Amino acid sequence: MSLLTITHLKVHFPTQDGMVKAIDTIDLEIANSERLGLIGETGCGKTVLGMSIIRLLQPSTKIEGEIWYKGKDLLKLSEGEMRKIRGKEIAMILQNPTTSLNPVLKVGDQIAEAIQLHQGLDKRAAREKAVEMLESVKIPSPDKRANEYPHEFSGGMKERAMIAMGLACNPSLIIADEPTKGLDVTIKMQIVKLLKEVSRRKSMLFITHDLGVATQICDNIAVMYAGELVEYAKTEDVFKNPLHPYTQGFLNSLPNMGLKPIRGMSPSLIDLPSGCRFHPRCDHASAKCTIEHPPMVEIEKGHSVRCFLYT
Amino acid sequence: MHKITKIATYGIIIFVILSFNFFLPRIMPGDPFAFLTGDPSTDMPVVLDAGIKAKLLSYYGLDKPLSMQYYDYIANILHGDLGWSIYYNAPVWDVLRGSLKWTLLLVGTSTVIYMASGIMLGAVSAWKKGKRVDAGLLTFILSLSSFPSFFLGLLFIILFGVDLGLFPISGARTPFMDYSTSFEEIIDILHHLLLPAATLVIAHIGGIYLLTRNSMLNVLGEDYILTARAKGLREGYIMRRHALKNALLPISTMIALIAGFMITGTILVETVFAYPGVGRLLYEAVLVRDYPLLQGAFMIITLLIIAANLAADMIYVYLDPRVKHK
Amino acid sequence: MIEDTIAFLKGYKNSVIGLVGLGILIFFVVVAIFAPYIAPYDPHEMYKPVRHPNSDHLLGTNHIGQDILSELIYGTRVSLFIAFISSIIASYIGTSLGLIAGYFEKFGFFFMRIVDGFLAIPRLPLIIVIAAFMRPSIWNLIFIFVFFGWPFTARIIRSEVLSLRNRPYVDAVRMLGAGNFYILCRHILPNVIPLVVVQLIMEASHVVLAEASLSFLGLGDPTTKSWGMILHYAFEYPTIFISDLWKWWMLPAGLCITFTILSLTFIGYALEDLVNPRLRREIL
Repeated sequence: MSLLTITHLKVHFPTQDGMVKAIDTIDLEIANSERLGLIGETGCGKTVLGMSIIRLLQPSTKIEGEIWYKGKDLLKLSEGEMRKIRGKEIAMILQNPTTSLNPVLKVGDQIAEAIQLHQGLDKRAAREKAVEMLESVKIPSPDKRANEYPHEFSGGMKERAMIAMGLACNPSLIIADEPTKGLDVTIKMQIVKLLKEVSRRKSMLFITHDLGVATQICDNIAVMYAGELVEYAKTEDVFKNPLHPYTQGFLNSLPNMGLKPIRGMSPSLIDLPSGCRFHPRCDHASAKCTIEHPPMVEIEKGHSVRCFLYT
Repeated sequence: MHKITKIATYGIIIFVILSFNFFLPRIMPGDPFAFLTGDPSTDMPVVLDAGIKAKLLSYYGLDKPLSMQYYDYIANILHGDLGWSIYYNAPVWDVLRGSLKWTLLLVGTSTVIYMASGIMLGAVSAWKKGKRVDAGLLTFILSLSSFPSFFLGLLFIILFGVDLGLFPISGARTPFMDYSTSFEEIIDILHHLLLPAATLVIAHIGGIYLLTRNSMLNVLGEDYILTARAKGLREGYIMRRHALKNALLPISTMIALIAGFMITGTILVETVFAYPGVGRLLYEAVLVRDYPLLQGAFMIITLLIIAANLAADMIYVYLDPRVKHK
Repeated sequence: MIEDTIAFLKGYKNSVIGLVGLGILIFFVVVAIFAPYIAPYDPHEMYKPVRHPNSDHLLGTNHIGQDILSELIYGTRVSLFIAFISSIIASYIGTSLGLIAGYFEKFGFFFMRIVDGFLAIPRLPLIIVIAAFMRPSIWNLIFIFVFFGWPFTARIIRSEVLSLRNRPYVDAVRMLGAGNFYILCRHILPNVIPLVVVQLIMEASHVVLAEASLSFLGLGDPTTKSWGMILHYAFEYPTIFISDLWKWWMLPAGLCITFTILSLTFIGYALEDLVNPRLRREIL
């Protein structure tokens, strides 16, 4: 059963230089207890997708399409109804914990406030729960740590605190945006392990540009390029049988695969290439690719790709 | 490190002010001490009697070498001896002491009101950035604070004091009044306080409003505000608890400037309303060229500002946990 | 550079507040320049004192019989002259020192302690004390305003230079062997110019206020006509509050000061809004 269904989502930002087509167009499903990895280069619209699910984009953003969650279209909810979903039903762990934690509030209070709000606990109980949460993300002496400020935490600890904050109200869906970015390898592995553990029996949208991390956590992987999905498959299939030239290029650029970068640069989201958006960088591009926009086609069960090579 | 620089800065300021007070009359062209030697070409409107003259001569000790004069000057100040007021024929400190409480009352009341309202309005404005509320508040407050405080005071006197007769137009209390209860006295004092305090508040609110607004706008773009929204917290709560405290940090470092403006405003407002504070005294001292009183009043004013700075530093430590642990 | 300027002007054109401010300021500047042609009388000429407004004297005469309208018109010259001369010199000094203090770190540290000291000293009370000792004249006033005006600019410019200095392109130029002076003038100065302009406008409005306040307290130059002086004499006049005198003696002068400050504040705000992109940053 699917928990979240995104259909025909378009997200555009008006800017001085023109309309930024951050998402155009995305259809995606996340099933109950599914951990889905969303992979792509910086600036392809990954974060925007996460933000549009919990509707944290600036008011001038133009959003089209539907985002169904437990029988409700999130895009049609009032701001007040949406607030009851944020943090409680769907939690988002934002990237960069150093700037995402409020520097002047105690870590424990920052976790407790959501608990107090959504679970109706009093201050004391919420606080105890916050300490429990810190413990569950394996922060040593959580009682003491809850009384500290973010600047007293190390980078990995801040990330753990962010995760604790996201999990505090026991949400059904977690959106984790680049939780391992900027951490060194050992800490990264610990965080990955933790995320894997805490997301058991939960749905998670795991946004990252680090394919290695995604494989360890996710059941399925969606590859995003220039505002749309180009491939969707089980994690192992992405590795064994990547279909889209972009996915192949992405894999080849990994350190243990030879570090071969994809030529060219990712396109501007204001001025998208005609036809297949990847064609200017693609070695297999034909004349058709420059004119016609390929559809997403299911090649085998649970493995779809947006490329004319397979149709 | 932070503390040492701060203390050093205060030390420098106090040293500069004291030295300045010391050297100013001694280096000015046209010999400001001419009145002491009875030079008829001075513009001293007060004729000195021999007793005062002797007191002043011994206070300034002009016949001693400069270094000795400086030493004596500092020693005198440390003993609370600020010299002798020519006009009042009394020790400068005694004259100042009577006015200090009124200035503290006026500045204190208006500072509290204007900080609270300025910060609140600035925060609201930033929150509603780009909407009508913001544009309206911005234009209104920028226009309002373009009025010089003394002009605003004059208008208030004419409008509320003379035309409507709602408020007394001068003084800090009704002269020669016997209060039957202390409540009555408080009411009378508040009645006199309201117009000058309102003038100060309105004339200076623009600065703190703009500061808060800019600071809030910066803070509202921070990631932790997004985190707070992602938790499903209400906007009002986010403003109060997550944004405001951060936005106040840069503001508290501006307290020195704010206090400076406030004190400046006080001199003018006290003059306009004949409010018997230190500012009014400074003005009087200028009019009658009572230099010892002038310098004494100036020193007190400077010390008030330094005290405001100290308070700001303490507020900063309270607001920003990162300072405490450094 | 030219493109930047055009983009800047386009941005400014969209600011209602900025345009209103500019309009008012242009009005006052025109009045100041053409004062001798506009003013009906010589402001020092004395007629019958304390006359109510009439066809000869549209705003009446003051306590010694000078035409108040002519005083106001000439007063524009004095206020704007003092404001702009002081703020231009103060900005020049402040910018130069700010550039040096931002670029050379060690010097900057000690320099900033001095600037902090200056900033903590209350400006107007100090100016009052100095003005009480000095013979008031326009040039003495300008000297005082410059002396206490430059630290504001110096401080802001320094912090901007600090952030510019470590930009990669500055490092690149340095590695190409460019001298400090060259880097400061060619690569850093152009970037701080917009801030300097904002500062200059803000400083001008401070000076207008300070000059008016000093003159109001009777510490202005008694031989020149300024708006603050008009208010000073009006305030000293015994029956000013209990008669209608204030309507033409006090109100116009006060409004002139207010509108000048208003125009400068508006312009300064509009410019700052354009110059400082942080304030326009939106939440993405």
